[in-house]
Amino acid sequence: MEFLLNEDRLALAETVRDYLAGTHGPDVLRRLDAGDNRDPAIWQGLVNMGLTGLLVPEEFGGLGLGFVDAALIARECGRACLAEPLVDTAFVAVPWLLSQGDTAQMAAIVSGTAKPSVAHRINPWVSDGDGAALDSIDPLRNLTRPVGTSSSDPLLLDLGALMSAAQLVGLAEAMLDQSAAYAKIRTQFGQPIGAFQAVKHQLATAAVAIEFAKPVVWRAAQALSDGLVSAPVHISHAKVAASDAAIQMAETAIQVHGAMGYTYEVDLHFWMKRSWALSGAWGSRAFHLKRIDDAVIGGGLEIGPDQTFA
Amino acid sequence: MKLGFSKAEEDFRAECADWLDGQMAGEFSDIKGITTLTAKAERRKEWEQQLAAHKWSCIGWPEKWGGRGATLAQQVIFAEEYARAGVPGRVNHIGIELAGPTILTFGTEEQKARFLPDIAAGKTIFCQGFSEPNAGSDLASVRTKARLEGDEWVVNGQKIWTSLAHISDWIFVIARSEEGSQGPKGLTFLMMEIDQPGIDIRPIEQINGDAEFNETFFTDARCAADSLIGAPGEGWKIAMGLLAFERGVSTLGQQMGFRNELDEIIAAARANGSASDPLIRQRLAKAEIGLHLMRYGALRMLSNSDHSKVDGAALTYKIQWASWRRSLGELAMDVLGQAGEIGTGPDYEWDTLPNLFLYSRADTIYGGTNQIQRNMIAERALGMPREPRGVA
Repeated sequence: MEFLLNEDRLALAETVRDYLAGTHGPDVLRRLDAGDNRDPAIWQGLVNMGLTGLLVPEEFGGLGLGFVDAALIARECGRACLAEPLVDTAFVAVPWLLSQGDTAQMAAIVSGTAKPSVAHRINPWVSDGDGAALDSIDPLRNLTRPVGTSSSDPLLLDLGALMSAAQLVGLAEAMLDQSAAYAKIRTQFGQPIGAFQAVKHQLATAAVAIEFAKPVVWRAAQALSDGLVSAPVHISHAKVAASDAAIQMAETAIQVHGAMGYTYEVDLHFWMKRSWALSGAWGSRAFHLKRIDDAVIGGGLEIGPDQTFA
Repeated sequence: MKLGFSKAEEDFRAECADWLDGQMAGEFSDIKGITTLTAKAERRKEWEQQLAAHKWSCIGWPEKWGGRGATLAQQVIFAEEYARAGVPGRVNHIGIELAGPTILTFGTEEQKARFLPDIAAGKTIFCQGFSEPNAGSDLASVRTKARLEGDEWVVNGQKIWTSLAHISDWIFVIARSEEGSQGPKGLTFLMMEIDQPGIDIRPIEQINGDAEFNETFFTDARCAADSLIGAPGEGWKIAMGLLAFERGVSTLGQQMGFRNELDEIIAAARANGSASDPLIRQRLAKAEIGLHLMRYGALRMLSNSDHSKVDGAALTYKIQWASWRRSLGELAMDVLGQAGEIGTGPDYEWDTLPNLFLYSRADTIYGGTNQIQRNMIAERALGMPREPRGVA
């Protein structure tokens, strides 16, 4: 039995984490927000690391890696609150286009010149598209109305939901780090506020939720890779667990930061806003819980002790 | 136990509703439904004066000072009708609900005559200078200094979260007037005119793009020696009296506004089909129950004859409504699903429900965080030992 992530996979994700930590800090988020949210140099950096081609088969110049790798890197995109539409293009649109036998744009995606995003009936708005611009609660998401028809393919929905869940894990981890750091330096009543159980227990509770969301997301990514019939249920589970953890973490983070957390001046809001946006994207909480209860109660999922954990 | 309002009170409700609806349909229709604190500030100052001209500005005050000597029940009825009619929040909320009652309770006759008529008339807008960057939950650790120099107080320091300071005329501050004093001792409550060289106001941008509060800097700012409420060194007592007003009557009528918000969420859930989802239905039901709990809590506080006495039940009021409304914001976003992410207006002029979500993120923080509220309930109502203070 192997329920731990492979070292090579983790090493790649760590490389991406280090790169984004060094090049995509809060000062960059502020600069992007003051401008038009996008910077070709940042995109080129992601292209140079091969990330746009992560899921593109080697015959088209990509790395030909799988969904677990992509999910681990999507988590890093969440942790850095990455503005560029890497996840929408490379981890959602690419595998879906491949599933449709559409390889026309693959070389251009790998080289960074094409950034397709695809619309789904449940998730009608696409990142950085050609349609009319929309105003997102997340100032760094350039959402647009789709041009042409939206797909209703369940695979596309699953890809979008899985990669949102992975980003939400990274977002929640970043908010936990920021809040724990703040609780150690902010003093009131003569001591760091993290010394008060009322504060430290909130952070510990959020940490538990995040810790228990992570394996669910990796399990879902593996299920999609393995083509399991139950993959959609695993993905819905991941989306709910990751959204709940991120929403709880955002609520905790603003509470720990006090009124400062309600300001633009403190970095936290970028991560909160992305979390709020992605929680509703690619199927709401109610939608995904319904997919789970339909499967459990409707008989679509094998239950019983000999099947549940098989 | 007598439930509900009397016939006379219901008549009063009809009178309030009639006048407010008339205003919102007529001369002031352009400000109806504004949910932010800052939009159309100049028009809302005119609205303050319109309220005053018809004696609706501060109905709970004595008639002598521009009020109607209204009963608590009448004040709540007016607040409810005010919210129901979609009238925007008072830009002089601090003056009417906090500064005025504080002056009435603790001020001299001369101070009452000097300030109350202008506050009532909407000519003097007040803001509150309590919190500092390092004195938030721990308010007693304020460091802003005041020293008496001849016939003037000279104030140096910084306040933060001064809501609407940029459109206010006066600010009340608590400042340390005894050199070397610590905690609640040695503080003095001063009232200062804002338009002077020693006071500098800088807006703080919020997560929703609005900027209703400010940092306020005092550099040799001045006010007359008799601009204090109470005696030098009594600032903490006055400030605590003022905060009791903030937690008390001024929030009792807010359920009507909350009712409007919940109704809007229910309408959205019906319109987009999420009302057929059992989880959403249960949360809507829980929100409905919570609203009624709040209502009964308010009515119970109303029936208590001595409102200066903060009893155990009153201490529970703020955390209940703040937590309820924070959850309401999250429910609104879950009902909207992905549509909650999209705004249709410029900048912070979000649709009502996403705006409710963003604003409600602050409910469990201002006026005392949920953690501070729990400490107050545990320590004051339940008599638990006080939280040990650090020595850093």
